[in-house]
Amino acid sequence: MLEPWHLPGLATPTKWNHGTTAAGHPFRTPVLDRANAAAVATAVDAAAGESRESRTTEDVIRAVDTAVARLSGAGAAGDAARDLLRVELGWDEELSRRTLDGFARTSRAEHLRSLVRSEVGDSALLERFVADPGWTGPGSRSRRAIGPRLMLQVLAGNVPGVSLSATIRALLARSGVLCKLPRSEPCLLPLFARLVTEEDQLLGRTIAATWWPGGESSATWVEWSGRAGKVVVYGGERAVENVRRSVPAHVEVVTYGPRLGVAVVLPDAEEDEAAALARDVCAYDQQGCVSPRLVFVVGGSGRSFARRLAEALELETGRHPPPAPSEEEAVAIREVRATYEFGGYEEGVTGLQTPGDSLRWTVLVSAAPDIGVENLPRLVVVSEVAGLTALEAALGPLSGRIQSIGYAGRAGIVALSESAARLGVSRVAPFGCMAWPPPDWRHEGKHQLLPLLNWTDLETFE
Amino acid sequence: MTRSDISGWRDLPPVPTAAFRAADLVVGDVDESLLVFRTSGTSRGTARRGQHFVRSPDLYRASADAGFRVYVSGGETTAKIVTLSPSFVYDPDSSLGWMLDHVRSTFGAKDGVSVTTPSGIDWYLLEELVAEARLSGRPLCLLGTTLSFSAWLERMVDARSSPTNLPAGSRVVDTGGLKGQSDRRREDVVSELAFRLGMSPSAIINEFGMTELLSQRYGVGIPVGPLRGPPWLRTRVLDPVTLAELPAGETGILCHYDLANLGSVCAVLTEDRGRTTGSGIEWRGRTEGAPPRGCSLATAELLEAQHRA
Repeated sequence: MLEPWHLPGLATPTKWNHGTTAAGHPFRTPVLDRANAAAVATAVDAAAGESRESRTTEDVIRAVDTAVARLSGAGAAGDAARDLLRVELGWDEELSRRTLDGFARTSRAEHLRSLVRSEVGDSALLERFVADPGWTGPGSRSRRAIGPRLMLQVLAGNVPGVSLSATIRALLARSGVLCKLPRSEPCLLPLFARLVTEEDQLLGRTIAATWWPGGESSATWVEWSGRAGKVVVYGGERAVENVRRSVPAHVEVVTYGPRLGVAVVLPDAEEDEAAALARDVCAYDQQGCVSPRLVFVVGGSGRSFARRLAEALELETGRHPPPAPSEEEAVAIREVRATYEFGGYEEGVTGLQTPGDSLRWTVLVSAAPDIGVENLPRLVVVSEVAGLTALEAALGPLSGRIQSIGYAGRAGIVALSESAARLGVSRVAPFGCMAWPPPDWRHEGKHQLLPLLNWTDLETFE
Repeated sequence: MTRSDISGWRDLPPVPTAAFRAADLVVGDVDESLLVFRTSGTSRGTARRGQHFVRSPDLYRASADAGFRVYVSGGETTAKIVTLSPSFVYDPDSSLGWMLDHVRSTFGAKDGVSVTTPSGIDWYLLEELVAEARLSGRPLCLLGTTLSFSAWLERMVDARSSPTNLPAGSRVVDTGGLKGQSDRRREDVVSELAFRLGMSPSAIINEFGMTELLSQRYGVGIPVGPLRGPPWLRTRVLDPVTLAELPAGETGILCHYDLANLGSVCAVLTEDRGRTTGSGIEWRGRTEGAPPRGCSLATAELLEAQHRA
């Protein structure tokens, strides 16, 4: 039985919540009543206060760096992390390894320093008041930035790195962080918290993470949300809305809602670009907001690109066999396949590429721009579009909901980027890079660290 | 796949029900189909309704008659058939309406009555027919959707009407389930109905049919026994991922093979879950839509975005 929790200040648990992960593996977490939840919050709050006094930003970065290195490394901690992903998500060794490698590639010390530099400037601003050299008013001004003593995070989704990155940012903001873990993948963050604790006990006590059933009426939620200075939510629109409603109006809610990835094949794209796109499709098993689901072929043949993508997906899934879809997913995939196959037979506007009856990948083809496809594992729709103006029009209904646009070719890249900016897309990147954005990428078009911070200015006459 | 790949009925490649929504599946000219049945609503965002083209209404009648005779009427010729669901006259897309109209005029004493009107069920007429049956002693055979019986029950509860006893030989045939429109389970509805009408569980029959099939299955009792049908309707229970046939008793996706579907599709892969049980099958509900995956935008949200645009 897995026990995915890290709860400083909790006495030996006696009652348990029971859940199952995405791959159906059972786990349990302690049941927290109001008093227990309060004890944990108090312990985390105290540790955050102490850590602010005794640890520099660089101390935090170094402790996190060591924990990240161990989590993704060849040692026992890395083995444990990969094992957990295999068990929780049904992933194979390779996908687990690549996901942790990809996370580590953007979360080591140099990346964290770069994130602080690009969003805050001087890392000392996170520790004390620092003179503002740009001040033009009378006297002088110094500034300081810091997150709330306690922050509450609602983590979601099956992209394991997201929970870790969010928690690392809370640590950089010098906040104590209370986390509700995703049921589908609850284990990685508690493991990470233990690794941080092994490196720096005090810092480890600034993280609390657990899962509980039910939503915003549970004792844990009521207690934790009442004490948090900010709430960060990852989740579907309904989850985000529920959280907003249950949090007092003065508490800022930072939200990361669901989005999707779009891939664009520009007219001068090389044929072998399909292989790079197949890697993006297979990363995170198509579950990330960066995962491409809609592919548009600009001024070319959708059917021929679909064939090349199908071949590439066959190779990619041969190398990294995907986990079996759930029963619901299997039925939904067959249903959407039938719709495209039979719809095409009658009207000639849709078609299909599949590895026979196997569900390991699916490429749907549409002669007209198509954005209504289901969110299903390793399933993409390839549409033809006459030009970039038509593409922007087709994507209009998804404005503000597209995370990233991947591209192949260069012809029209400036116009495509301008369209992306108008559509609220946060990143435009070549095929093969879609799934691994850099650490200072503005996820959902927002800064990563700044929304967690509060700034205080000190003005003096001297 | 060619004809030589097929050595038995199990080898026929099944067509998912979604295909009935995507294309006109018919042998020959669509316009030559004498009947077109349509599924009741949209499903999972698909804009079109499913269509089933029937080239031979006579074959449909023959298949429906055989099932009804064996599993419902049992040779009973005196019962008065009362239907509680919209007649084909009011809903010409409904295969259920068509079938109910047909059996009402074919079976029993052939003086059956539909209590539906364009604006719903005529409850007064239904209650009058019940009172009349009690006086005359002639059994009633009540046919309708589970939802219509549920509505009747609510009406009886609201009116605080006391239980009555329908004459011996009366039957209730419900179909379609509660479709998530009620907090109650079908078993609860039919149990209470049986109690209020003074009927034994063996007089409660559940019909299992689909717009995409021209043969039906029936199950008797509370809870419902194995759903059985005519020998030309066969059902396999398949693994949802591999489509391999599952051993008896294991739950999977139902795939029906209906020879009455002449001119359309014989092998129909459904979204229904079920298992084989004894001499029939047990229906265990529809598969829910696939849950949202990760932080990728869910289909419902995407469709909502399209709708707003």
